[in-house]
Amino acid sequence: IVVALFDKNVQNNEEHNLAVESTIGNSSYQHSKINQWMSGIVESSLSQLTKLGKPFKYIVTCIILQKNGAGLHTASSCFWDNSTDGSCTVRWENKTIYCIVSVFGLAI
Amino acid sequence: MEEFHSGDEVSFSPDEGSNVVKECIEGIIGGVDYSQNKVNQWTASIVQHTLTQLVKQGKPFKYIVNCAVMQKSGAGLHTANSCYWDTTTDGSCTVRWENRTMYCVVSVFAVAIAL
Repeated sequence: IVVALFDKNVQNNEEHNLAVESTIGNSSYQHSKINQWMSGIVESSLSQLTKLGKPFKYIVTCIILQKNGAGLHTASSCFWDNSTDGSCTVRWENKTIYCIVSVFGLAI
Repeated sequence: MEEFHSGDEVSFSPDEGSNVVKECIEGIIGGVDYSQNKVNQWTASIVQHTLTQLVKQGKPFKYIVNCAVMQKSGAGLHTANSCYWDTTTDGSCTVRWENRTMYCVVSVFAVAIAL
């Protein structure tokens, strides 16, 4: 897995820039590797975020879904401080996999 | 009678959170089959309703509620969460629910507010 970063800036009143770039690349869905991939994605996103050194708590969630025609719907609702907190969601896919990563940043 | 020391920090109780979530899910999609037309409404209702119930508890937390509904069709679905926070006060809970035609996964994250 190559983990790439999307940049999104956030600091207090500014918008939070989150860098998350994750390449599962040309891999096909493989049940045995999923756990590794997910841990890799989530942990590297989190460490890139904490490296930014901003006064935030972070929550990173990742969903990986095999493409076989099933319907998937997700929703999030947040109770926080609109002026300082924010989130971003990245949707990624290849031939056999959908991957959705969400990051929530909460100001300390 | 419980003594309450106002200087103590409150920490998130995952069990209570789970109960709130389970009731909300049952109330909204308890006996129904997966329907593409309705699923957007369902996910929105589940998160809004859960959030309202949590906020009503009046505790000093910010909340994030996440809900995923998937049709049962043999596809593999995996989810993972990672959190960078204060482990003494913050917490999360995840509830997995299913019926004949769909799976529902709801996660609640509670982050303490510094008072």
